[in-house]
Amino acid sequence: MKTQDSGEERDLKLFFSELKKRDEKLSIPDFPKPQKKKHIGWLPIGIAATFIALLWFFYPTPPSSQIEGDIIIITLVEGENQEQELLIEKTTYMDVWEPQTSSLLTEF
Amino acid sequence: MNRHQLEQLVKSVHQEAYIWARQCCGFDGNMARDVLQQAYLKILEGKAEFSEKSKAKTWLFSIIRYTASEEYRQNSRQIPFLDGMDLPEPEAVHQAEDHEELLQYLPERQREVLLLIFYHDMTLEKAASVMGLHIGTVRTHYDRGKKNLKKLIEKKKAHEDAR
Repeated sequence: MKTQDSGEERDLKLFFSELKKRDEKLSIPDFPKPQKKKHIGWLPIGIAATFIALLWFFYPTPPSSQIEGDIIIITLVEGENQEQELLIEKTTYMDVWEPQTSSLLTEF
Repeated sequence: MNRHQLEQLVKSVHQEAYIWARQCCGFDGNMARDVLQQAYLKILEGKAEFSEKSKAKTWLFSIIRYTASEEYRQNSRQIPFLDGMDLPEPEAVHQAEDHEELLQYLPERQREVLLLIFYHDMTLEKAASVMGLHIGTVRTHYDRGKKNLKKLIEKKKAHEDAR
Protein backbone atom coordinates (compact mmCIF):
# COMPACT_ATOMS: atom_id res chain seq x y z
CA MET A 1 0.00 0.00 0.00
CA LYS A 2 1.53 3.24 -1.07
CA THR A 3 0.75 6.11 1.23
CA GLN A 4 -1.14 9.12 0.00
CA ASP A 5 0.73 12.16 -1.07
CA SER A 6 0.36 15.15 1.24
CA GLY A 7 2.10 18.42 1.96
CA GLU A 8 4.19 16.76 4.63
CA GLU A 9 5.19 13.99 2.32
CA ARG A 10 6.15 16.41 -0.43
CA ASP A 11 8.76 17.96 1.86
CA LEU A 12 10.05 14.56 2.78
CA LYS A 13 10.15 13.44 -0.83
CA LEU A 14 12.19 16.50 -1.65
CA PHE A 15 14.52 15.71 1.25
CA PHE A 16 15.06 12.15 0.06
CA SER A 17 15.43 13.11 -3.58
CA GLU A 18 18.23 15.48 -2.53
CA LEU A 19 19.77 12.65 -0.55
CA LYS A 20 19.57 10.39 -3.61
CA LYS A 21 21.23 13.03 -5.72
CA ARG A 22 24.12 13.24 -3.28
CA ASP A 23 24.40 9.46 -3.29
CA GLU A 24 24.90 9.48 -7.05
CA LYS A 25 28.43 10.64 -6.28
CA LEU A 26 29.08 7.64 -4.07
CA SER A 27 31.59 5.17 -5.38
CA ILE A 28 29.88 1.83 -5.46
CA PRO A 29 32.27 -1.06 -4.84
CA ASP A 30 32.47 -3.72 -7.52
CA PHE A 31 30.34 -6.75 -7.05
CA PRO A 32 32.61 -8.98 -5.00
CA LYS A 33 33.65 -12.12 -6.77
CA PRO A 34 32.50 -14.82 -4.44
CA GLN A 35 35.46 -17.01 -3.60
CA LYS A 36 34.79 -20.62 -4.13
CA LYS A 37 35.27 -22.48 -0.94
CA LYS A 38 38.12 -24.92 -1.11
CA HIS A 39 36.08 -28.02 -0.84
CA ILE A 40 37.92 -31.22 -0.10
CA GLY A 41 35.59 -33.86 -1.30
CA TRP A 42 35.35 -37.35 0.06
CA LEU A 43 36.41 -38.88 -3.26
CA PRO A 44 40.17 -38.18 -3.04
CA ILE A 45 40.17 -39.23 0.61
CA GLY A 46 38.44 -42.48 -0.33
CA ILE A 47 40.90 -43.15 -3.14
CA ALA A 48 43.85 -42.53 -0.84
CA ALA A 49 42.43 -44.80 1.86
CA THR A 50 41.83 -47.61 -0.65
CA PHE A 51 45.34 -47.23 -2.03
CA ILE A 52 46.87 -47.45 1.43
CA ALA A 53 44.74 -50.49 2.30
CA LEU A 54 45.79 -52.28 -0.92
CA LEU A 55 49.41 -51.43 -0.36
CA TRP A 56 49.26 -52.80 3.16
CA PHE A 57 47.44 -55.94 2.03
CA PHE A 58 49.71 -56.84 -0.87
CA TYR A 59 53.01 -55.64 0.54
CA PRO A 60 55.34 -58.70 0.66
CA THR A 61 56.05 -59.46 4.24
CA PRO A 62 59.75 -60.19 4.87
CA PRO A 63 60.45 -63.84 5.70
CA SER A 64 60.69 -64.25 9.41
CA SER A 65 64.09 -65.35 10.56
CA GLN A 66 63.36 -68.44 12.53
CA ILE A 67 65.81 -70.70 14.25
CA GLU A 68 66.20 -74.16 12.88
CA GLY A 69 63.94 -75.69 15.41
CA ASP A 70 61.47 -74.08 17.70
CA ILE A 71 61.94 -76.60 20.44
CA ILE A 72 65.23 -77.49 21.99
CA ILE A 73 65.36 -80.55 24.19
CA ILE A 74 68.25 -80.84 26.52
CA THR A 75 68.63 -84.23 28.07
CA LEU A 76 71.09 -85.33 30.68
CA VAL A 77 72.19 -88.80 29.88
CA GLU A 78 74.65 -91.21 31.40
CA GLY A 79 77.56 -92.10 29.15
CA GLU A 80 79.46 -95.32 28.77
CA ASN A 81 81.99 -94.40 31.42
CA GLN A 82 79.35 -93.44 33.91
CA GLU A 83 79.78 -89.83 32.82
CA GLN A 84 76.94 -87.39 32.65
CA GLU A 85 76.45 -85.96 29.16
CA LEU A 86 74.17 -83.33 27.87
CA LEU A 87 72.25 -84.32 24.79
CA ILE A 88 70.80 -81.43 22.81
CA GLU A 89 68.08 -82.05 20.26
CA LYS A 90 66.29 -79.59 18.05
CA THR A 91 62.84 -80.15 16.63
CA THR A 92 60.05 -78.08 15.12
CA TYR A 93 57.30 -79.95 16.80
CA MET A 94 56.77 -82.33 19.59
CA ASP A 95 53.77 -84.58 20.01
CA VAL A 96 54.88 -86.64 22.94
CA TRP A 97 58.11 -86.43 24.77
CA GLU A 98 59.20 -88.73 27.44
CA PRO A 99 62.36 -88.30 29.41
CA GLN A 100 64.93 -90.89 28.72
CA THR A 101 65.65 -91.29 32.37
CA SER A 102 63.13 -92.34 34.84
CA SER A 103 64.18 -89.74 37.35
CA LEU A 104 61.80 -87.08 36.07
CA LEU A 105 58.95 -89.51 36.15
CA THR A 106 59.64 -91.03 39.51
CA GLU A 107 61.43 -88.38 41.52
CA PHE A 108 59.44 -85.30 40.48
CA MET B 1 17.47 -21.57 -8.47
CA ASN B 2 21.10 -22.49 -8.95
CA ARG B 3 24.13 -20.63 -7.71
CA HIS B 4 24.76 -18.82 -10.98
CA GLN B 5 21.18 -17.57 -11.24
CA LEU B 6 21.31 -16.44 -7.64
CA GLU B 7 24.55 -14.59 -8.30
CA GLN B 8 23.02 -12.81 -11.29
CA LEU B 9 19.96 -11.89 -9.26
CA VAL B 10 22.03 -10.38 -6.47
CA LYS B 11 24.28 -8.63 -8.97
CA SER B 12 21.28 -6.94 -10.57
CA VAL B 13 20.46 -5.10 -7.32
CA HIS B 14 24.04 -4.64 -6.13
CA GLN B 15 24.07 -0.85 -6.28
CA GLU B 16 20.90 -0.46 -4.26
CA ALA B 17 22.10 -3.16 -1.90
CA TYR B 18 25.30 -1.24 -1.19
CA ILE B 19 23.40 1.98 -0.53
CA TRP B 20 21.03 0.18 1.83
CA ALA B 21 23.97 -1.52 3.58
CA ARG B 22 25.56 1.88 4.06
CA GLN B 23 22.33 3.27 5.48
CA CYS B 24 22.10 0.31 7.86
CA CYS B 25 25.69 0.95 8.98
CA GLY B 26 25.27 4.58 9.96
CA PHE B 27 26.52 5.72 6.53
CA ASP B 28 29.89 4.06 7.14
CA GLY B 29 31.15 2.91 3.74
CA ASN B 30 33.80 0.50 5.01
CA MET B 31 31.45 -1.27 7.36
CA ALA B 32 28.86 -1.41 4.58
CA ARG B 33 31.35 -3.23 2.33
CA ASP B 34 32.01 -5.83 5.02
CA VAL B 35 28.34 -6.29 5.76
CA LEU B 36 27.50 -6.63 2.08
CA GLN B 37 30.25 -9.20 1.56
CA GLN B 38 28.95 -11.24 4.50
CA ALA B 39 25.37 -10.98 3.25
CA TYR B 40 26.41 -12.22 -0.22
CA LEU B 41 28.33 -15.10 1.33
CA LYS B 42 25.26 -16.10 3.32
CA ILE B 43 23.25 -16.14 0.13
CA LEU B 44 25.75 -17.97 -2.06
CA GLU B 45 26.55 -20.54 0.60
CA GLY B 46 22.86 -21.24 0.97
CA LYS B 47 22.63 -19.99 4.57
CA ALA B 48 19.91 -17.58 3.46
CA GLU B 49 17.36 -19.17 1.21
CA PHE B 50 15.47 -17.26 -1.42
CA SER B 51 11.75 -17.72 -1.25
CA GLU B 52 10.52 -16.87 -4.73
CA LYS B 53 7.34 -15.49 -3.24
CA SER B 54 9.12 -12.43 -1.98
CA LYS B 55 10.80 -10.04 -4.34
CA ALA B 56 14.54 -10.41 -4.59
CA LYS B 57 15.17 -6.85 -3.44
CA THR B 58 13.02 -7.24 -0.31
CA TRP B 59 14.73 -10.52 0.50
CA LEU B 60 18.23 -9.11 0.00
CA PHE B 61 17.47 -5.97 2.00
CA SER B 62 16.24 -8.01 4.96
CA ILE B 63 19.45 -10.09 4.92
CA ILE B 64 21.58 -6.94 4.78
CA ARG B 65 19.65 -5.37 7.64
CA TYR B 66 20.01 -8.51 9.73
CA THR B 67 23.73 -8.84 8.93
CA ALA B 68 24.36 -5.20 9.86
CA SER B 69 22.66 -5.62 13.23
CA GLU B 70 24.66 -8.84 13.77
CA GLU B 71 27.84 -6.93 13.01
CA TYR B 72 26.94 -4.30 15.59
CA ARG B 73 26.25 -6.99 18.17
CA GLN B 74 29.40 -9.00 17.48
CA ASN B 75 31.75 -6.05 17.48
CA SER B 76 29.95 -4.35 20.35
CA ARG B 77 29.75 -1.29 18.23
CA GLN B 78 27.42 1.39 19.36
CA ILE B 79 24.26 1.45 17.31
CA PRO B 80 24.25 4.91 15.87
CA PHE B 81 20.51 5.30 16.09
CA LEU B 82 18.11 5.35 18.96
CA ASP B 83 15.60 2.55 19.07
CA GLY B 84 12.77 4.36 20.79
CA MET B 85 9.66 5.87 19.34
CA ASP B 86 10.12 9.48 20.32
CA LEU B 87 12.54 11.94 18.92
CA PRO B 88 15.12 13.11 21.38
CA GLU B 89 15.53 16.82 21.67
CA PRO B 90 18.90 17.32 20.08
CA GLU B 91 20.38 20.67 20.80
CA ALA B 92 22.76 20.39 17.93
CA VAL B 93 20.34 19.57 15.12
CA HIS B 94 21.25 22.80 13.43
CA GLN B 95 24.87 21.62 13.35
CA ALA B 96 23.98 18.68 11.16
CA GLU B 97 25.97 19.25 8.03
CA ASP B 98 24.03 17.13 5.63
CA HIS B 99 20.95 15.01 5.15
CA GLU B 100 22.67 11.87 6.42
CA GLU B 101 23.62 13.52 9.65
CA LEU B 102 20.11 14.84 10.10
CA LEU B 103 18.68 11.35 9.60
CA GLN B 104 20.89 10.09 12.38
CA TYR B 105 18.85 12.06 14.89
CA LEU B 106 15.89 9.82 14.16
CA PRO B 107 15.26 6.64 16.14
CA GLU B 108 16.53 3.61 14.22
CA ARG B 109 13.24 2.11 13.10
CA GLN B 110 11.75 5.43 12.07
CA ARG B 111 14.82 6.14 9.97
CA GLU B 112 14.73 2.67 8.41
CA VAL B 113 11.08 2.79 7.43
CA LEU B 114 11.44 6.27 5.94
CA LEU B 115 14.48 5.21 3.93
CA LEU B 116 12.75 2.08 2.67
CA ILE B 117 9.63 3.97 1.59
CA PHE B 118 10.93 7.32 0.39
CA TYR B 119 14.40 6.37 -0.80
CA HIS B 120 13.95 2.80 -1.99
CA ASP B 121 10.33 3.18 -3.15
CA MET B 122 8.95 0.29 -1.15
CA THR B 123 5.43 -0.11 0.11
CA LEU B 124 4.64 -0.36 3.82
CA GLU B 125 4.10 -4.11 3.42
CA LYS B 126 7.53 -4.58 1.86
CA ALA B 127 9.16 -2.38 4.48
CA ALA B 128 7.49 -4.51 7.15
CA SER B 129 8.88 -7.60 5.45
CA VAL B 130 12.42 -6.17 5.35
CA MET B 131 12.25 -5.09 8.98
CA GLY B 132 10.61 -8.30 10.15
CA LEU B 133 7.85 -6.37 11.90
CA HIS B 134 4.08 -6.37 11.84
CA ILE B 135 2.64 -3.87 9.41
CA GLY B 136 0.79 -2.04 12.19
CA THR B 137 4.06 -1.45 14.04
CA VAL B 138 5.76 -0.29 10.87
CA ARG B 139 2.91 2.12 10.17
CA THR B 140 3.36 3.65 13.63
CA HIS B 141 7.10 4.09 13.05
CA TYR B 142 6.36 5.54 9.64
CA ASP B 143 3.88 8.14 10.94
CA ARG B 144 6.12 9.17 13.81
CA GLY B 145 9.17 9.18 11.59
CA LYS B 146 7.55 11.52 9.10
CA LYS B 147 6.56 13.97 11.81
CA ASN B 148 9.95 13.83 13.47
CA LEU B 149 11.92 14.26 10.29
CA LYS B 150 9.74 17.16 9.27
CA LYS B 151 10.47 18.80 12.63
CA LEU B 152 14.18 18.26 12.17
CA ILE B 153 14.13 19.69 8.67
CA GLU B 154 12.20 22.74 9.88
CA LYS B 155 14.56 23.30 12.79
CA LYS B 156 17.53 23.12 10.52
CA LYS B 157 15.91 25.44 8.00
CA ALA B 158 14.95 27.94 10.69
CA HIS B 159 18.52 27.99 11.92
CA GLU B 160 19.89 28.51 8.43
CA ASP B 161 17.40 31.33 7.75
CA ALA B 162 18.37 33.05 10.99
CA ARG B 163 22.02 33.18 10.00
